[in-house]
Amino acid sequence: MLDKNITEIKESFYTDIKSVSSIKDVEELRIKYFSRNGLVSQLFEDLKDVVKEEKPILGKKLNLLRNEVSAYFEEVKERISSSNSNKENKIDLTLPGKEFIVGSKHILTQTLDEIKSIFKGLGFSVANGPELESDYYNFESLNFPADHPARDMQDTFFVSKEFLLRTHTTPVQIRLMEKQAPPVRAIMPGRVYRNEAVSARSYCMFHQVDGIYVDTDVTFAELKGTLVSFAKQFYGSDLKYRFRPSFFPFTEPSAEMDITCYLCHGKGCKICKNSGWLEILGCGMVDPNVFKFVNYDSEKYTGYAFGMGIERIALLKYGITDIRIFFDNDLRFLKQF
Amino acid sequence: MKISLSWIKEFVDLSKISTEEIVSQLTMSGLEVEDVVDQSSLYNNFIVGFVKETEKHPNADKLTVCKVFDGKDDLQVICGAANVKAGQKIVFAPIGTQIPNGNFVIKKAKIRGVESNGMICAEDELLLSDDHSGIMVLDDNFEAGKPITETLNLNDVILEIAITPNRPDALSHIGVARDLAALFDRDLILPEIKADETSEDVNRLASVVIEDEVNCPRYIAKVVKDVQIKESPKWLKDRLEKIGLRPRNNIVDITNLVLHECGQPLHAFDLDKLNDNKIVVKSTKTESTFTTLDSKERKLPLNTLMICDGSREVAIAGVMGGENSEITETTKNILIESAFFHPSSIRKTSKTLGLSTDASYRFERGTDPNITKYAAERCAQLVSELADGKIANGIIDVYPSVITPREIQLRFSRTTKILGYEVAPQKIKNILSRLGLAIKVLDEDKLLVSVPTFRPDIEREIDLIEEIARINGYDNIPTVSKINITLEKKTDETDIDEKIRQTATALGFFEMINNPLQSENEAKLTGKPIKIANPLSADMECLRTSLITGALITISKNIRQGVRDLKLFEIGNSFKRISDEEIRNFSDFTERQNLLLIISGKEEIKGWNTQEKDSDFYLLKGLIDSFLSKISLDNVLIDSYYSTVNEIYAYHLTKSFKETELGRGGKLNDEVLKQFDINQDVYCFEFDLSALKAVRSNPNTYIDPLKYPKIIRDFAFILDKSVKYLDVKEFIKKKSSQLLKAVSVFDVFESDSLGADRKSLAFTLEYYDESRTLTEDEVEKDFNNLIALVTKEFNAQLRGK
Repeated sequence: MLDKNITEIKESFYTDIKSVSSIKDVEELRIKYFSRNGLVSQLFEDLKDVVKEEKPILGKKLNLLRNEVSAYFEEVKERISSSNSNKENKIDLTLPGKEFIVGSKHILTQTLDEIKSIFKGLGFSVANGPELESDYYNFESLNFPADHPARDMQDTFFVSKEFLLRTHTTPVQIRLMEKQAPPVRAIMPGRVYRNEAVSARSYCMFHQVDGIYVDTDVTFAELKGTLVSFAKQFYGSDLKYRFRPSFFPFTEPSAEMDITCYLCHGKGCKICKNSGWLEILGCGMVDPNVFKFVNYDSEKYTGYAFGMGIERIALLKYGITDIRIFFDNDLRFLKQF
Repeated sequence: MKISLSWIKEFVDLSKISTEEIVSQLTMSGLEVEDVVDQSSLYNNFIVGFVKETEKHPNADKLTVCKVFDGKDDLQVICGAANVKAGQKIVFAPIGTQIPNGNFVIKKAKIRGVESNGMICAEDELLLSDDHSGIMVLDDNFEAGKPITETLNLNDVILEIAITPNRPDALSHIGVARDLAALFDRDLILPEIKADETSEDVNRLASVVIEDEVNCPRYIAKVVKDVQIKESPKWLKDRLEKIGLRPRNNIVDITNLVLHECGQPLHAFDLDKLNDNKIVVKSTKTESTFTTLDSKERKLPLNTLMICDGSREVAIAGVMGGENSEITETTKNILIESAFFHPSSIRKTSKTLGLSTDASYRFERGTDPNITKYAAERCAQLVSELADGKIANGIIDVYPSVITPREIQLRFSRTTKILGYEVAPQKIKNILSRLGLAIKVLDEDKLLVSVPTFRPDIEREIDLIEEIARINGYDNIPTVSKINITLEKKTDETDIDEKIRQTATALGFFEMINNPLQSENEAKLTGKPIKIANPLSADMECLRTSLITGALITISKNIRQGVRDLKLFEIGNSFKRISDEEIRNFSDFTERQNLLLIISGKEEIKGWNTQEKDSDFYLLKGLIDSFLSKISLDNVLIDSYYSTVNEIYAYHLTKSFKETELGRGGKLNDEVLKQFDINQDVYCFEFDLSALKAVRSNPNTYIDPLKYPKIIRDFAFILDKSVKYLDVKEFIKKKSSQLLKAVSVFDVFESDSLGADRKSLAFTLEYYDESRTLTEDEVEKDFNNLIALVTKEFNAQLRGK
C-alpha cells in the first residue's frame, strides 16, 4: 500500500513541477509536498503503521524519495527565483515589436505576373510595344479597313490624323512578326486606352495581355487546348468553359471564351448577368490579311491570337465593384495586396 | 437588336424546339443573345382593369384614389399618374404581381394613410417602352379581368441579339431565320409576293437618275397611287411595338416592317411633293443645310450623298428623309425608294452628322444590292393591302453595273488544317447550302462556292471555313491536350521591370498606377506635352510628360484622406512632343519608359522605442543608391548636385553614365507643390528607364570576401561651413596610399563653440590589403600624412589634438 503510494506521489510530483513557472507556483508546490501536512510528510506518518518486517525497506525507499524530490525542488526553486530577479521584472515582452513596412506591387501587376508565369511555362516569350501608336499598327495592318464600322468597336483617342493611343496590345503582334520569321510565340502585356466616359464600370485606360503563336500546323484545336490549359491553371482545374463565335478583324474564325461563373458556379448571378458564364478573353486564328502585312506565307503558316483584359480579371477575382479604385492609388487600398 | 420569335417562325419552322435551345444555338453560332424576354411569363398576372370612379387622395395632392373593377370585385387602388380618369380601361397589377421594371412585388399597402390593393401600370413599368408620362390607357372594348397576355398579344418571346459588325445579313428577321435554318437543318421560307398592278406605267409617273454611281450603285422606285394614310392595323402595330418601335402611320410602319423583315431600308416620298416627279441621286458640291423629317436643320458637308427631286434636295441618302417630301395625312401618291448605297459613303455622312438611324446602321455595314427589288415589291404589296393603294405597273430600276455573287474555292483539306479536325464533306456542303450559298463540286478536295450578295463578309476561303466552324459548333472542335514547345531561348522584355519592382517593394515602396492623361497645366510642368485631339475632358487633354505630376495628384488625394506618410513608385511611359508640327512620324515625339520613386511625410513615426523622423533628401538619396546597387549600377554613375531652385526642384541631383543622364531628383519646390495643394515636403527621383536599361550591367563575376584584417582609423576636422564633404573625401582618397580602401563620414557637427562659420566633419578610414596583413606603422604613416595635408588644404584644424 505504502509502496504504491510512494510511486504515485513521486509521479505526481514530477508532473506538478513541470508546470511551475513563478515564485507563487513554487510556494504552492512546497506546501503540497513538503509542509507539515504535505504529501511527503504524510508518507512518513504512514510508515508508522507498516508491519515491522517491511519497515526498513520502505523506510529506505522513503528517504531516497525525499532526498531526490527535495533536491530537484530546490534546483527548480533556485532557477525560478534567479530568473525572476534578473529578467522577468525588467522586460515587458508584451510591448509591440518594431514595425517594418514592406512595399507591394500594384494588384494589377500581381495579376499580370500570374498570367505571365503561366504563359511562360507554356513556351511563350514576353514582348513590349509603344502606347502612342500609328494608325497603321493599331488598325490598318490588323485588317481594320478605313471607314469600317469595326473601328467603332474601339473608341479611340487621337493625337493627330495618323497617330493615336493604342486601343489594344494587338499592334505588338505586328511589330513582333515584322522583326522575326515564324515560329513566333509570345504574349504582349501593356496599357491601352479607350475614349469612354469614366465610370464604375469603365475607365479611359486599362491593361491587356495579347498573345500570338504562328508556325506550320497551328490549329484552332491547339488554340482551344492552350487557352483551356491557361484558364484551368489560373481559375482552377474544375472549371467548365465554352468557345463562342465572335468577330475581330484580325482573326478568322474568331471566338470568345467563357468560363463558368466562379461566384455562382453557373447558376446565374448579378456578376454574370444571370447567364452563368463569364467572358474572359477573345481569340481566333490569325487572319490571312494580317499575314499579308508582315509578309508571312499564309498557305504555309497558320497561327492563333488571343487577348484579355487584366482589370476585369482582378475585378472579378477580388469582388471589386468600381474600376476607378485601381487608379486612385489610395495607400489604404495598395497596402492590402 | 430585338427579334420576335413568333415573327421568326414565319420564316423557319421551329416546332418542337424549345426557346432555351434556340437561344443557346444562336449564342453558340455567333449571334449572341444578350437578353430573353418571355412575355407570357413576364405578364402572366396582369389583367385589364376598369376605372369606375376616382376621387382626390385626402392627404396628397398628386395622388388619386380609384375604384378599379378587376372583372370580379371593385378594389381601392391609389394611382400617382395625372392622366388617370374614371371610365378608362387600364393595365392592372393585382396584389402579388411582380413588376418587370425593378422586379418588385405589389403588396397590399397604405399610401399616405389610404389602403391600396394593386397598381395601375405605365408602359415603362411593364418594360414596353421608356414612357413614364402616365398610365397606359387601353382600348375601351377590352373586357375587364382578361389577362393582358391575351388582349395585348403579349405572348411572344423577344430576344435581344448583339450583332457583330461583320454580320449585316443578320440585321433582320429573315437574316436570323437563315442562321436558324442552317443550325437546325430546316428550310427557310420567304413571303410570297402577289399584288395586282394597274395598267399605268410607272415610268410615266416618275423617273430616276443616278449621278453618283460609285456611292449609289442601284436605285429602285415603285409608285403606289391613291393611298389612304391612317393608323396601321393592330397586328402591324403589335409587331413593331414588340421590337421597340413606335407605330406612326400605315406607310411608315410598312417601310419599318419590311426593313426588319428583310434588312433593306426603304423610304416613302410623297410623290406629289417631288418636283418634276423626279429622283436624282447626287453628292453635294457645296456646303449647305437641310431639314430632316424630325424638323432639325442639319449642316451638310461637301460630298454628302443626297436624294434630290427636279429642283431640290429631298433626303439624306441612306440616313433620313426630308421634311419637305415626307408622308403626311393628306398624302395621296407615294414613291417607294429601295436603294443600295455604298457603306463608307453612308458611314461618313452618319458620322459627320452625328446621326445614326436604323437605315444608316444597316447601309454602313453593307446591305444586299440584290434584295432591293424584293423589298420594294413587298412594300408595295403591303401598301396596297393596308392603305388601299393602287400599284403602278412595273418598277424603275437603275442598276448600271450589276453586282453578282462572288465565287470562292474551298478546300476540305484547308478546313481541316485550320480547324484541327475534319468536318465531313457532306456536312460542309449541307451547312453552306442552308446558309444560302450555292456550291459546285470541283474535285475531291474542292468546292466552288457562290456567295450571294447578302453576305458581304464572306470574301475568302477562310471566311467559308469560319461559317463551317460556327454552324457545326465550336464545341465540336477538339481541345488538344498536348502542344509542341520549341526549345530555343525565350525572351522576356519585361524581366528588368520585374527586378526593379522587387527592389522597390523591398525598400518599402508601394506601386501606383496613375492615369497618363492629365490637364495641360499639369503636363506642361515637365515638358512639351502631346495633346489629345478628342479628349474626354479638359483635365485629361494631354499625355503626361513625366511621372511626377500624376504622382503629385495621388499624394494630394492621399493627404486629403489623412494618409500623409507615403513611399510610392511607378513604372510607366511618358510622352513629349519634339516639334510643334502635327505628329506624322515616330520621330516627331518621344515615348520613354520612366521609373519614379517618391517620398513624403514621415520616414519614422513616433513609437515607444522610435523617434519621429521626417523624410528628407538624404533618405531619398540613400534609397536611390540602395536601389541602384541592387540593379548593378551603383559604382559606375556620376552624381551632379544642383542647389539652386529650378521650375520643379528646390534642389536636386542627377545621375549620369558617361554623357547620358539617367535620372534626376530632389526636393520638389513649393510652387509646384502648391499647384497640387500639397502642404508637406515631397522628394522624388525619376529615372529614364529606357536609358537605364541600356547601360545596366549584369555582374558576371564575384569578389572574394576579404581574408585579412582591416585597420580602422578615425579623425575629425574643424573647417569652414562652405567646405563640402565630397571635396574633402575626394581629396583624402586622392592623397592617400593604395591601402586606404574606403572613406566615410560618421559625424557632422555645428556649434557656436566651433565658431559661427565653422563645422566639424568626422571621417572613418578603412585600410586593408587583399593579399596580406597590414602593419600599424604603414597605416600610421599614411594617416598622419593625410592629417597634415587636409589641415593645409582646407584650412582645417584637427579635433581632439
